[in-house]
Amino acid sequence: MFSGNIIRFIHVGYTVFNASNKTLLSKLRKQTGYTFANCKKALELNDYNYSLAEKWLQDQAQQLGWSKATKLEGRITAQGLVAVGMEKNNAVIVEVNCETDFVARNKNFSSLVELAATTCLNHTASVPVGSHLSRFQLDAEILKSLKVHDGKTLSDHLALVIGKVGENLSLRRATCFHAADGILLAGYAHPSPNFQSSVLLGKFGAVVAYQADSPSQSDTKLRENLSVDEIGRQLCQHVVGMNPVKIGEVGQDTPANNPDDESCMIYQEYLLDPSQTVGEMLASTSISVLDFARYECGEELLENTENNSSKVAVEIGG
Amino acid sequence: MASLMTSRVIFNPVLRKTVKLIFSKELRNYQCCIRANKYALPVINYVRLYASEKKVYSREKPHCNVGTIGHVDHGKTTLTAAITKVLADKRLAEAKGYTDIDNAPEEKARGITINVAHVEYATDSRHYGHTDCPGHADYIKNMITGTAQMDGAILVVAATDGAMPQTREHLLLAKQIGVNHIVVFINKVDAADKEMVELVEMEIRELLSEMGYDGDNIPVIQGSALCALEGKNPEIGAQAILKLLDEVDKHIPTPVRELDKPFLLPVENTYSIQGRGTVVTGRLERGILKKGMECEFVGYNKVLKTTVTGVEMFHQILEEAQAGDQVGALVRGVKRDDVKRGMVMCKPGTVKACDQVEAQVYILTKEEGGRSRPFTSFIQLQMFSRTWDCASQVTIPDNKEMVMPGEDTKLVLRLMRPMVLEKGQRFTLRDGSLTLGTGVITNILPALTDKERQSLTEGKKAREQRLKAEQQ
Ligand SMILES: Nc1nc2c(ncn2[C@@H]2O[C@H](COP(=O)(O)OP(=O)(O)O)[C@@H](O)[C@H]2O)c(=O)[nH]1
Ligand SMILES: [Mg+2]
Repeated sequence: MFSGNIIRFIHVGYTVFNASNKTLLSKLRKQTGYTFANCKKALELNDYNYSLAEKWLQDQAQQLGWSKATKLEGRITAQGLVAVGMEKNNAVIVEVNCETDFVARNKNFSSLVELAATTCLNHTASVPVGSHLSRFQLDAEILKSLKVHDGKTLSDHLALVIGKVGENLSLRRATCFHAADGILLAGYAHPSPNFQSSVLLGKFGAVVAYQADSPSQSDTKLRENLSVDEIGRQLCQHVVGMNPVKIGEVGQDTPANNPDDESCMIYQEYLLDPSQTVGEMLASTSISVLDFARYECGEELLENTENNSSKVAVEIGG
Repeated sequence: MASLMTSRVIFNPVLRKTVKLIFSKELRNYQCCIRANKYALPVINYVRLYASEKKVYSREKPHCNVGTIGHVDHGKTTLTAAITKVLADKRLAEAKGYTDIDNAPEEKARGITINVAHVEYATDSRHYGHTDCPGHADYIKNMITGTAQMDGAILVVAATDGAMPQTREHLLLAKQIGVNHIVVFINKVDAADKEMVELVEMEIRELLSEMGYDGDNIPVIQGSALCALEGKNPEIGAQAILKLLDEVDKHIPTPVRELDKPFLLPVENTYSIQGRGTVVTGRLERGILKKGMECEFVGYNKVLKTTVTGVEMFHQILEEAQAGDQVGALVRGVKRDDVKRGMVMCKPGTVKACDQVEAQVYILTKEEGGRSRPFTSFIQLQMFSRTWDCASQVTIPDNKEMVMPGEDTKLVLRLMRPMVLEKGQRFTLRDGSLTLGTGVITNILPALTDKERQSLTEGKKAREQRLKAEQQ
């Protein structure tokens, strides 16, 4: 009788204990978003004390992210996002990759890409630049080591998101522009996702550096319809859509026989008005293009192209 | 479908022998026709092909298409392999190794490259086509081409991780491709303890409810795909797989067979046969066609009601024709000029012509034979579907400015004249000789007003002026 009571007591006590542990585990998982396995470990290591376990998880997150990152290292990351960030006279275009296009659509990942872009923007603003237009590349190694506002590196943040989404992620490349007074920068990303973000996000991105001379009499008509900013944006859209290889120069470059194969921007049909070439449009609006960059997420890169970074800012244009 | 038929004609000698002409000499240029089988199409075509080669599949069972979705690493491929293994042990499938599925070559459907693994198996009650794709875009392409329209999905979640942040995106995809029935497999229970598994189940049910599925009643099965594949721990291995399949059998409804739908025949040709009247020919897309049935011709701004006075195939008068059959139908009191290719002959009142639809479209890359450059709204393209084609104006909704080759997108299509269009109907868009895209209708939109129809043919300048005027 007596012993029976004890047994029952113990039995009941055990299940109550178990049930509350389960609640804790469930709560911890909901609050932190870390995997059940890690939440469970956190609770076990901290005698099922919720706040200690939570703190342990936060402290461990970085390390857990890193160990997950190490585990997944080498797995192909062919999906992802291209971000275009613009601020005052600086513009950056950044590519960050993941394994599946599901993750590319997830907020955890897009926030990381936004962070990468704003970090590159800050970096660009901090680099001493020349008097005209500076352009420089950042490769994966440099990107990883960039410091974020919270003191961590971009690769720390990358590892944290790897820990969350469980996919290999990589910071692939960035191109940064700094423009002196009088030079304008425009950016565009395609297709734009259906949520708000501090930078432009898409599978494709472009930045165009251009100059707008004060319009002559005849130009005012076009400028009336479209602002200079709008023309800049449309030029970027053209770059994304028509994929020019270079700007081209009248006299030096000759138009291709088949307009579909045209890779010189000035000779290409203008995407937004195929009745004229880009060159004609530029001439009629007194706008000149100085430089551009185009990224396509996951595209193959030729060796020795601009992806080979140089830490030194290069002076371009006039 | 056309390509399937062709390939069958080429590859299956038995069927080739049955290729005959109908309506004898009058129809000299009539194309080859074959008696397709009596079950649902296109699915059964495919089953039959295999049925002749591999004895394990029964052609008598109803067919259903399923697919696995879930985070990379949670065990989709292992599960797919495990299902075939467990069923192979029951002689209901051919066992497929993990690497066979994982390294499945890219498929080409309607000219589009899709990264997809297709596996077949049967349970005691049904035959299954099973799709495993790595990415969102692949499932969308799969939906658009209709190669294996998923009737249901198995969501795979590892007990060790629980739902991932992107599980939301997996479920959004399922919604987008019209998967209304989901069964959950909680995998890797060999590596997790009981309470964790219970919590994962609770969590996934919550998430499913949040995403608009019936989270409380969706079957959730716990097991280990790896154990099943390796033949270990049968209670979480093979038995769990059988339990999963049992739930899939029960929970995912068999799609209505084409045969069981009201009849529909897209008109391919019309002939006037002396002393007999007008004959329309085509492949019966769905239903059963019998002499004496009321029918309706719809298309080109016309609706014509009449009666079928005869059904013929292979020189012979038939009692009835079934979905998949290439037939000729004699119709009463209709002049040859009243009906023409592109119209649809159907059970009266079952289809309507319309001139504005919303569609999900995949735009082919240059490598796939498409354009090299993007297009913007108001492009004029020729739309081809069933046996008709019609000029249409394309607009890109959702403030998207252009569509690049290789992208899938929602489009609104406005036709120069009303044609028979239904939700789920497939079509291609061509620009001259180039196939620009291929798509599936997702929504029928209100008919165009006269003013809207007029605006379809206006030039860019006129449109811009009109839009400007409308804004003021
Ligand atoms: N412990 C355990 N591991 C599994 C189980 N099922 C799959 N795995 C492992 O999980 C990993 C990913 O599996 P895979 O089928 O490739 O996942 P997929 O990316 O979703 O197709 C592989 O290493 C599998 O061996 C399981 O039931 N238990
Ligand atoms: Mg896989």
